[in-house]
Amino acid sequence: MSSKRKVLLSPIFENNPIALQILGVCSALAVTTQLSVTLVMCVALTTVVAFSNFFISLIRHHMPSSIRIIVQMTIIASLVIAVDQTLQAFAYEISKSLSVFVGLIITNCIVMGRAEAFAMKNPPAISFLDGIGNGLGYSVVLITVASLRELFGSGSLLGYEILPLIENGGWYQANGLMLLSPSAFFIIGFLIWGLRSVKKNQVEAKEYRMAPNSSGEESVA
Amino acid sequence: MGLRRVLDDMEPHFAKGGKYQAFYALYEAVDTIFYSPSRVSRAEPHVRDGIDLKRVMITVWLAAWIPMFYGMYNLGFQANTAIAAMGLEGGGDWHEPIIALLAGHNPASLWDNLVYGAVYFIPIYAVVFVVGGFWEVLFAIKRGHEINEGFFVTSILFALIVPPDIPLWQAALGISFGIVIGKEVFGGTGKNFLNPALTGRAFLYFAYAPNMSGDAVWTAVDGFSGATALSQIASAGLPAIHLTSGSELTWIEAFLGQMQGSIGETSTLAILLGAVILLVTRIASWRIMLGVFLGMCAMATLLNQVGSDSNPAFATPWYWHFVLGGFAFGMVYMATDPVSASMTNTGKWIFGAMIGVMTVIIRVINPAYPEGIMLAILFANLFAPLIDYYVVKANIARRRARGVI
Amino acid sequence: MSSRESTRKTLLVAFCLCVACSIVVSSTAVILKPYQDENRLLDRNKNILTAAGMFDADVDGNDVVAERFAEFTTRVIDLETGEWLDDAALQELEIDLSTYDQRAVINDPRYSEPVPADEDTANIKRRVNYPLVYVREENGTIDTIVLPVNGYGLWGIMYGFLALEGDANTVRGLAFYELKETPGLGAEVRNPRWMALWPGKRVYNDNGEVGLRVVKGPGSGDFQVDGLSGATLTTRGVDNLIQYWLGDTGYGPALDQLQELN
Repeated sequence: MSSKRKVLLSPIFENNPIALQILGVCSALAVTTQLSVTLVMCVALTTVVAFSNFFISLIRHHMPSSIRIIVQMTIIASLVIAVDQTLQAFAYEISKSLSVFVGLIITNCIVMGRAEAFAMKNPPAISFLDGIGNGLGYSVVLITVASLRELFGSGSLLGYEILPLIENGGWYQANGLMLLSPSAFFIIGFLIWGLRSVKKNQVEAKEYRMAPNSSGEESVA
Repeated sequence: MGLRRVLDDMEPHFAKGGKYQAFYALYEAVDTIFYSPSRVSRAEPHVRDGIDLKRVMITVWLAAWIPMFYGMYNLGFQANTAIAAMGLEGGGDWHEPIIALLAGHNPASLWDNLVYGAVYFIPIYAVVFVVGGFWEVLFAIKRGHEINEGFFVTSILFALIVPPDIPLWQAALGISFGIVIGKEVFGGTGKNFLNPALTGRAFLYFAYAPNMSGDAVWTAVDGFSGATALSQIASAGLPAIHLTSGSELTWIEAFLGQMQGSIGETSTLAILLGAVILLVTRIASWRIMLGVFLGMCAMATLLNQVGSDSNPAFATPWYWHFVLGGFAFGMVYMATDPVSASMTNTGKWIFGAMIGVMTVIIRVINPAYPEGIMLAILFANLFAPLIDYYVVKANIARRRARGVI
Repeated sequence: MSSRESTRKTLLVAFCLCVACSIVVSSTAVILKPYQDENRLLDRNKNILTAAGMFDADVDGNDVVAERFAEFTTRVIDLETGEWLDDAALQELEIDLSTYDQRAVINDPRYSEPVPADEDTANIKRRVNYPLVYVREENGTIDTIVLPVNGYGLWGIMYGFLALEGDANTVRGLAFYELKETPGLGAEVRNPRWMALWPGKRVYNDNGEVGLRVVKGPGSGDFQVDGLSGATLTTRGVDNLIQYWLGDTGYGPALDQLQELN
């Protein structure tokens, strides 16, 4: 039980695909201007990772290594197309805002990464959970980024006005940078900074040591 | 020397193990303002020069006073002209009562203009200094390094490149971003690869574009609507530049700086005076300045020759590029930032030329951004280490070919 | 182990996988197609109604779209001659109103042509010669005409609908549904507050020229619309688009005929 729990929950903070492994960042930049769109993207990605993990794990013993990657890609691509078609049929507005980024889940490193790293070595049920867990890890970061971007960029959350904009007679001046992709980059950077100040074990080893300008002791001497 | 004794008496409290150990950075900063650091090199080689980082930064800071004073005067001049033209009583916000206390609104009066400018500029500078200083001190204490005088320069340069009518909270946000993202996250002064003042300005530019693009206001009078010269060029070409007063802008007026723009950037003449100080004291690199200038001339002339039917800005000659917008200010004060520029001599030429060329390209060809020097310098900052790397490699290769290593 | 890596096994796995995946993909596509088509149509009709001021996304739900759109009849204009095509002409051109998609035939030389550079103020390069326009009649007289328009903004072509009143001279609304403008600046052309500036503006001045302009700074009178502050080039793009599509190069001749009919 505890191992299942760990598979499901550890990708959220302990081993977050975006914050620790720095995977899947491109879609995190592209689809996070509106929280509603982000939520749909998170569901779409979680579904794809979970099921791709499940199916790949199911046939992992039959997969010839020579065409391993192609088989994985085919499964992932089929799932992505199915998800994309479903969104176009039942959530047209949001699928329009997501445009190509649903299709680009195919190239999302989290999906391929989990297939290679986990599903190929583990049975289907636990692989499915791993997919859900990584999807949640991705979602946590994206939802945080999208909440901040929508709140400060448009003064609203899920379309409901929180900070009334000056243009609409309120007091808040929208921060236009938040509507541009680079802001997600800064926010993810801050999130990683925050996460690593709490969880010190995630800090990478220094490539070099910075010499201090001087220290108190030195200058006294 | 009473002061020395006071400082010495306080010293143990701030040293390691003392009560206020965490605040050593603050003590050190105050101490070295008055006295040379007690820690000097003992072994050879000695640098036989009185100049250190603190003196360098103070010199730049003082050199920036020339455009600052002119900027204050011009801010007031533009505003008072607009007030006279619109037949208003005053600028129309919380600044007005303070101005009314000290001066009137006569655009011909030096005093009136200067007071108007000071009442707008000093709050901006104060906010930038306090907020930026807060981050600087916070990081210095947290990281255990000294407070760096580079901050003096960053703060005044940042205050000089914002529009005169900037809301104070935006100034605070901008300098915070510049100091934290542009400098401290990378390890503080000396380890930043971007110019912090420009990073903050770029943040404001993208975050609050309607205030910053130079399309709309930029004269510190409520309800006045005008556009900066560059913005006018981008939309209609050179002959279309008009002043606050409505008449056409002449080159000499642009050179002297009698036009709208960010506080410190308008007067090329004042900036060149500052440049003289920086060059005589050998603080700024003449190679970078000349590189920027020549790069700009070359690219502007090239575009003049190429020409364009649909984009009137192509025809802007180099001597106009030189006097408009932030070009001169960027060239003298921003590009020459020793930390974020190239270090090698050849590298400085390349770095400078890159800025000049990019500035003109962004100004003329990019449809969205009328001003290019800010983005050009930040862009070149990113390339500075790469340029140096290849310059050094080329040197090694050349020496090896000569057979003397 | 060896059997897994054999050529035979490899081919077998590849084959089975392909069959399974293609079944999944094609069946989702086929099953969901009717829903998707319905969505696309709904979306387009919604855009048309928005331009005509008959749909407000904050208030109205999707359920009202079909009913309100039914008040419109779809017509085709020949931009060359300015004529309103009748059924016979449509048949000759093989245009079937239920399937004809004017965005899709933009590169088909039968239906579209390049715009000469000196006329191309909206910078669209190619245009469809037989655009679909939507006309709403009330008591036998034309009440609203919705015209598809497009033009280059700052970063790309903006697509939208312009609605005029039955006099073919008063603006009812302008709504863009696809654009690449900067969020928060140029993309504010989709802000309802900016869109609200349009209704009631006049298109043609006394000389019959297009007098409607999008101007920088506060616009005044019947002919001027405020530009967006901080978005000079998008504003100019909208202005160009208006000049191009309502002038002689665009719907001008067709609107003239309509005015004569009235």
